[in-house]
Amino acid sequence: MSEIFDLLLLVLLITTALCVIRTKDLLAAAVIFSTYSLIMCLVWQMRGAPDVALTEAAVGAGVTTVLFLVTISRTVRREK
Amino acid sequence: MLIEAILQAVTAVLVAVGLFFFLVGTVGVLRLPDFYSRTHAATKCDTLGAGSILLGLAVLGASRGDYTDGLKVLVIAVLVLLSSPTAAHALARAAFRTGLEPYTLPEARGGEDR
Amino acid sequence: MKRIAVIAVLVAAFVPLAAAVAQLPTFGEASNPTNTYLVPRYLQKGPEEAGAANVVTDVILNYRGYDTNGEVVVIFTALIAALATLLVRPKQMAATPPGDDAPRSPIVSFVVKAIAPFIAVFTVYLVLHGHLSPGGGFQGGTIFGALIILLSLTLGHKYGLSLLPERSRPWLQAAAVLAFIAVGLLGWALCGAYLAYPSYSQLEWVREGWLIALEIGIGVGGAAIFATVFWTMEAEP
Repeated sequence: MSEIFDLLLLVLLITTALCVIRTKDLLAAAVIFSTYSLIMCLVWQMRGAPDVALTEAAVGAGVTTVLFLVTISRTVRREK
Repeated sequence: MLIEAILQAVTAVLVAVGLFFFLVGTVGVLRLPDFYSRTHAATKCDTLGAGSILLGLAVLGASRGDYTDGLKVLVIAVLVLLSSPTAAHALARAAFRTGLEPYTLPEARGGEDR
Repeated sequence: MKRIAVIAVLVAAFVPLAAAVAQLPTFGEASNPTNTYLVPRYLQKGPEEAGAANVVTDVILNYRGYDTNGEVVVIFTALIAALATLLVRPKQMAATPPGDDAPRSPIVSFVVKAIAPFIAVFTVYLVLHGHLSPGGGFQGGTIFGALIILLSLTLGHKYGLSLLPERSRPWLQAAAVLAFIAVGLLGWALCGAYLAYPSYSQLEWVREGWLIALEIGIGVGGAAIFATVFWTMEAEP
């Protein structure tokens, strides 16, 4: 059961990573990247590393996303 | 023993209700025409879906005697019920203030095509 | 011609590197030195030798304290570099960024005000209890930094800035480095080596106190740095 959940998480992780690369809209890419961080956080927790999971949730999904959004609001929204 | 079985049945019903709302919300996000109605569908997912699944898990914890775990799950449910509608409100408000027009039927807009 | 030369240099660098990597023990092999004595030592003797029930804290702050000290200095230097490249002066940071004067939603303000104390208590728990349970200074500090960012986004730039008063801001940003230097020098004075922990079992409370001091320093410094990076990027250039 746990293996199925792990497999599902890893498939979702790779899918979101590919989506981030392929998205031309940087705002959407930032939001998808925060989803990637949340899934990564779940993977860390499943692998038994709650410390890293906390860091990933706080830094990856929280602070970096805000910094990305501030940067986008300061520059351009679409990749050329 | 009987109480345990009843509580587990309650859990199953609550989780099923939550899954139903998640399904409805996902269909809504995919099918609805504009930003506002999609936000509305996505929020149903979070509040009703996640809320009732977490409530079900809290009941499951109580049926096993893990009262502290059940209480923690309840606190998470309260947090979700508080933060998710607020986020949806902030999103919709920001979209409306930047001038995004809600979708209306062609007849209401004077018959022009979409 | 130039391209061929570049490729030749790259190949010349790649071959010895690849040969060296091929000599390394297989990744994740059970007979690797890290798996035969290092990890078992950390897991079995960590809490007793280093003084924290959370083995991650033992490794970060005690066994590899120098490493973390260097890392903290790197993060602080990165903040200085970010401030230098963005060329934002304190006066510009105090100015209201564009869009900040738009009317605020009372619902969002209310909910954020209602949730903020709980987030703050959670960060304090993560920092002070980090040597016993998952979490620690960096995690707590990051969440507190995110809380400051949330408050300055929802309740206004001025409110967020007032949480870190301008006079004490540089000291708060340097808190992690300062805590490491203070604990390191104390260790030098009392135990004879920089960042040394007392090893006597009677002095366990001193060891725990130093761990908590380092955690608080890292937490305060991390929160101040994350908030400052946000304000710097938001400020009108």
